[in-house]
Formats: sequence, structure tokens, C-alpha cells
Amino acid sequence: MNASIQAFGRRLAPQALPLAILVIVAAFALSEPAFLTPGNLVGIVRQVAITGIMAIAMTFVIMTGGIDLSVGPVLALSGVVTWFSLDAGVPLPLALGVGLALGIAIGMVNGVIVAFAGLPPIIVTLAMLSVVRGSALILGGPDLHSIRGQEAYSFIGSGSVFGIPVSVLIFAAVAIAMVFVQRATPLGLRVAAIGENERAATLSGHRTRLTKLSLYAISGLGAAIAGIVQSSQVHTASATYGEFGTELDVIAAVVLGGTSLMGGNGSIARTVMGVMFLGVMNNGMNILNVPLDIQLIAKGAIIVLSLALGELKS
Amino acid sequence: MDTPLIRGIGLGRTYGALTALADADFAVMPGEVRGLIGSNGAGKSTLIKILTGAVAPTSGSVEVKGETVRLGDPSEMIRRGVACIYQHSNLAPAMSVMDNIFLGRQPTGRFGRIDRRRQRADAQALMARHGITLDLDAAVGTLPTVKQKEVEILKALALDARVLLMDEPTGWLSAADVVRLHTTIRGLKADGVAIVYISHMLDEIFTVCDTMTIMRDGRVIAEAKVAEMTRPRVIELMVGEKLARDSAAAARVPRRPGGTGEVRLQVRDLTRTNVFRDVSFDLHAGEILCITGLIGSKRTELMHVLFGADRADSGTIEVDGRPVAFGSPREAMAGGIGFVPEDRHRDGLMLGLSMTENLVMATLSRFCRALLLDHRAIAARSTRSIAELAIQPPDGTKAVRLLSGGNQQKVLVGKWLNLGPRVLILDEPTVGVDVGAKAEIYAILRAERDKGAAILVVSSDLEEVMTLADRIAVMVAGRLVAIHDAEAVTMARVVDEIGGAA
Repeated sequence: MNASIQAFGRRLAPQALPLAILVIVAAFALSEPAFLTPGNLVGIVRQVAITGIMAIAMTFVIMTGGIDLSVGPVLALSGVVTWFSLDAGVPLPLALGVGLALGIAIGMVNGVIVAFAGLPPIIVTLAMLSVVRGSALILGGPDLHSIRGQEAYSFIGSGSVFGIPVSVLIFAAVAIAMVFVQRATPLGLRVAAIGENERAATLSGHRTRLTKLSLYAISGLGAAIAGIVQSSQVHTASATYGEFGTELDVIAAVVLGGTSLMGGNGSIARTVMGVMFLGVMNNGMNILNVPLDIQLIAKGAIIVLSLALGELKS
Repeated sequence: MDTPLIRGIGLGRTYGALTALADADFAVMPGEVRGLIGSNGAGKSTLIKILTGAVAPTSGSVEVKGETVRLGDPSEMIRRGVACIYQHSNLAPAMSVMDNIFLGRQPTGRFGRIDRRRQRADAQALMARHGITLDLDAAVGTLPTVKQKEVEILKALALDARVLLMDEPTGWLSAADVVRLHTTIRGLKADGVAIVYISHMLDEIFTVCDTMTIMRDGRVIAEAKVAEMTRPRVIELMVGEKLARDSAAAARVPRRPGGTGEVRLQVRDLTRTNVFRDVSFDLHAGEILCITGLIGSKRTELMHVLFGADRADSGTIEVDGRPVAFGSPREAMAGGIGFVPEDRHRDGLMLGLSMTENLVMATLSRFCRALLLDHRAIAARSTRSIAELAIQPPDGTKAVRLLSGGNQQKVLVGKWLNLGPRVLILDEPTVGVDVGAKAEIYAILRAERDKGAAILVVSSDLEEVMTLADRIAVMVAGRLVAIHDAEAVTMARVVDEIGGAA
């Protein structure tokens, strides 16, 4: 009897997150029919796109037992740098390239220090958080820089194709690309191998340090993409965007997706689900007029609760 | 004085179908130093785990000072004065000697304040009583290994331990330190402590023990006073008729010392300072060369240099006649070296990944087409390996964690066979593997040898060495002291050489 319940639990466990999403969607839909309108559903995805892009890009880092706390300031800095480039008359593709390259470069610095100097990722990226925030403030000051007359740029954050916001499309593209990388390329398997047993991966002839370096670069790139989407969405760039707590939302989404902070098993697709779960929660509570303070408490409680359930199953 | 301090009666332990220990009787009197010996897998560690309460036996009972104890409860055993000093230190390196001795049970004064004065007085009394001198304020991590052992002993004595189980206590010690530790043990003995001394090193057993218990295949097969035993008799008892049978079987497999004569790996005067020195040997295509020796004779360290995980300070390595100097395992693999590490869980496998993923882990780049993984080719390779190595269950999607030790080891060996290396090194290839899987792994290695592979095996298990080797090299304290044709050498001779310089 007990054994069959356990067996049932084991079969059900991998589906827990999608089921939970369905349950809360149903609950919100019943209490507020407006929740299920197509406009609102697309809106949910649009709200989570920025966090989602960063969470997807950080999943590999967390799978190897690392973390990237510097994504918030990288988001801000890449927005500011792109704005400056546009303001200086640099053509759009080049300006975007500068913003993205900056994210990659910062990620690579994180990666070099973590992988080759062997310092703990939490300290390295915490220091980087501080350095990048400071740099963004030197460059951009405390002001909001509004972006005018850049229709192509604004299209990234505010435009839509066939009624679907471009930011949602970018989120989807990043998700699909990274799911593909995880499932179909050697990098995906290598990340899993390092997360499982880094020592054994090195002894199997893998360049584990180089791989880890590239994962931090991916995380930095994700933050830069998020920064560009955000600044074009609000038509401004500011050194203060990606404020404290941004990285926590990102990490929460990854962890909700079942990736352990100790490294090991993890999945991009499940991170996307974690992102959606948080998005639905936020949106539903907004629609039901739950006060913000209660929302924050509820969010924290749900994260801990779902992780506890995950521990229980293993 | 007639009651043993600790006594196990009819102890047995099974793990599924595997019997780790059967019907073992074991007793130690106060003031007795009893050697516990046997090859790997003989059941020593299972017995020790039962005596420390780490594992509950499936049958039998344990008495301490004549009282039956609750089994499988470590705190019960500690309370009754049974302590174990493990091969690897359990101390907190950054804390002082005194804090380590009293860790977790500091004498306290009012308001829970630690009573330092009493702690110091207690520690000094303890040291005086047992003739041990230590600087109580030194951080444990700064002490030499032998002193750390003494701290562990004091820690146990502070708990009023009357029974001390010592697992390979001299594994990391120099000869002078071994003497020092033995002096400490004699002091404890005079004080009436019962000591169980587990060691592969027969020399030490004969030096420090009064009695010995010899185990083989999960059974106690002999108990004797050390004074009444001879070394060859002990070895005979340790490896038993099984070896006679196995070596008879192995004798039917033609040995091929020198293989095809083609030198695959040539090592000359290889030295890593303070680890090993002046190691020279040739490994030929089509032969199995076993390097044996005591734990701590630096065989694994030598393999790490050959595989590029460590550097040599001088000497040369040639593969197929070309000098090489590998800077990483990756380079060594590209240079044709494969390495099956000793600890499959720590260094060998990704336990959470599937059998298939593990099998291609060392050869991933061969399964890439236009930067993408060729999952079909990977599955085909895995299916073939599983069939060739008879891995059970034959399901490549299964996580390696779920396999038995023997099948895990086969996956690990298969992963390296897939590389098709010029030289395959295996470090203790059958540790923790049951007898059936052992025979299968031997058969796999022999088949590879017959196909012309050059195989280098590090093994402490003499039974294995005598069964598997075409040639046998003996390493003692970082030096390669002898190389024999396996056919032309007796086990007794090898044993003498292994213990020779200790």
C-alpha cells in the first residue's frame, strides 16, 4: 500500500510543476474570469519575459553548482551602453552588438575568476554586482535617459508581430535555442556531467574550466538581452534598473524549475515552467487585488513550500 | 579478566544476495592488541561497521564487557566505550588540539561557559596517563599526521573508550612515525585498553599485535597468537584454496610476459619529488602488467603522472617511441592513454547520468556531427558496449546510480575501452566488486590483451595480481623494486618484496 503510494508519487513528481500551474490557473480563472482572456495570458508572458530570459541563461551556471548574482547591474549597464551608442549615432545593429558584447565580456570575467582562479561563484559575482553597478552609475548617473526617435529600437520592447509582443518572441526564441543546446549539443551533456561530477568530467578529458567560463558568458549575455528588452520596453535607460532582488527572482525561477543550487540535475524547459509559475502567481494575485505586501509574503512561502516538496520526493 | 571487553557472536550481514559477513565470532580481551587481516572484500570493514554500530548485523549479537548491546546504533557503542580511528582523519583542522579532544562535550561552568581550565587539566591528565605529549593550543591542521592520530586517540580516550578500533592507522605514516604510533599503542595496552588493529601490512601485525583474526570471503577462518604464526601461513590463510584454484585456472590461460614485444609505454627514471623516484619500466602491446604494493606505496600517484593529472619532476615517458609530457588528462587521452580511476564514485562516473551518457563520456567528440550530438550513433555504441560487457540490466537509459557495484565498474571500464587507448591504465579495477563481476572484468581485460592492448593494472589485491598479471612489478615506498614474469615468481616472494623495505 505504502509502496504503491510511493511509486505513484515518483511517477507524479516530475509532473508536479505543470500540474501546479494548471491548478492555480484554474483557481484564478474561477475567481476572476478576466484572467483567462488571451490578452491577459499574453500579458503574463510579457511580464515574465525579462526575468525568464535571464533565468534560462543562468540555468547552466546553477547546474554546475555556480550562481550569477551580477545579472541585475549587467541588465542596467547594457541598457545604458546601448542608449549611449544610439545617442551617439551608432547604427542600431552595432549598438545592440555593443550592449550584448558587454554582457558576454562581464560574464567571461566572472567565468575566468570562478573557473581558473577557483574562487567561490557567490563571492565573485557578488563583487561583480557591485563593480558593474558602480560602473553603470559612473556612465549613466542617477538619471533616466529617455530614448526618442528610435522606432526600430522601441519595436524590440513594445512592438508586436501578429499580435504577439516582440519581447515574448525573443523570450520564446531564447528558450527554444537553449532547450536545443541542452538536448542536442555536446555542451548540454557536458554541463550535466560537470554538475554531476566535475572531477570525473576532467578525468574524462573534458575542458571543464573552459566550459564553466562559457556558461558564465551565456548568463552575462542573457542579462544583456534582458537589459535591451527592458530599456526599449520603457523607452528609457537607467543605471538603476535591475534593482536589488532581480537576481533573486531569476534564481527563484530556476530553482522552482527543479535545478538544485548544489548543482546536478537541471533542465531549461523546466526553468521556463518555473518562470511561468511565478508569472501566473503574480498576475493572478494582481487581478484578485491582493495587496503587494501579502503578495511578497505569499511568493516567498510558495518558493519554500515547493522546494520542500521537491526534497520530500527525493 | 576472563570477560572480553568486546565480543561479537555469530555476526552475519547480507546485502541483497551478497553475503558480506557470515557467522563471525570475534573477541578482544583487555590489554590485547588483535590484528584483523584479510584481502579486500574479506568482510573486515563490515565487521568493524557492526562493532561501531554504523551497520546492524542481519544475525548475531555483540557484547561489551559481557553485556549485550543494542545493535546498529553508533551512539550506544560510543557510550559503552567503543571508538574507531579511521584511516582518514575526522578532526576539525582549524581548531586547537584541546578543542578537538573535547569537541561537542566541552566541560562547562555556569551559564554554559566552556570551562577552559578544567578542559586543560583533563587533557593534561589524559596525556600524562598515556605518555602522549601534544601542544594543546596548536591547530590540528598544522600537526604532522602521526600527531593527528594521537589527537584522535586522545579524543577517543577522553570518551573513556576501552576498545579502540584502528583502521589502517599507518597508511599515511613514515617508518619512524609507525614506530612512534606503536609505542603509543603499547602504552594503551598496558593500561588495559583493547585494540583492534586492521592493516594490510603484515610487518606491523607481527610487530605490534598479540593475536590475529584472519578473514576471507566474509568469514573468520583463523584465530591465532602472533607468536605461533608464520608469515607464509598467514598469507595462505588469507588467500586460501580459492587462489590455488584460481591460479590453476589462470595458469591455463597462457601468460604472455612481454606481449608481442612491441613497446607501447616506456618509462625511464621517472621522479616526482618526495613522492616516487627513479621509476623505470616498459609496457608491451598484448600484455597485462600489474603494479602491486602496499597502500601508500605511491602507485596511484605514479599513474596520475602517466595520465597527465600530475607532473613529474624528472625522467621520461614515451608512448610508441615518442617522448610525451602530458599537461592534462585531456592531452594524455589524445596521446593514447586511458585511465580507469580507483574510486569510481568520486573520480569515475556521473552517477546521476544514464549508462549511455557515461559510456560515451570520454569520447564525446567522436559522436558529434556538425556540432550536434549524434544520438543515434551514441545509442548504437551504448547498446554494443552493454552487450559486449554483459552489463545488467541491459538498459542504457538507466541511471548508473541504480546499478550494482560490479555493473558500475563495467560501465566505467567500458567508457575507457570505447576510447580505444594505446595504453589502458586501471587503478584497483575490482575494488568493492563481487566475485562474479571480478571474473567477468578479468575476462574482459584478457580479451583486450589478446587483441593487442597494453594494459597496466594497479592492484593491492595479491589474489588479483597472481590471477591477472603477465608480469608483476612491486612498488615499495615510491620505488619500483622488482619486475617479474608472473609465471616465474611465487606469491611468497612477491609478499616479501612488498613488505621488504617497510
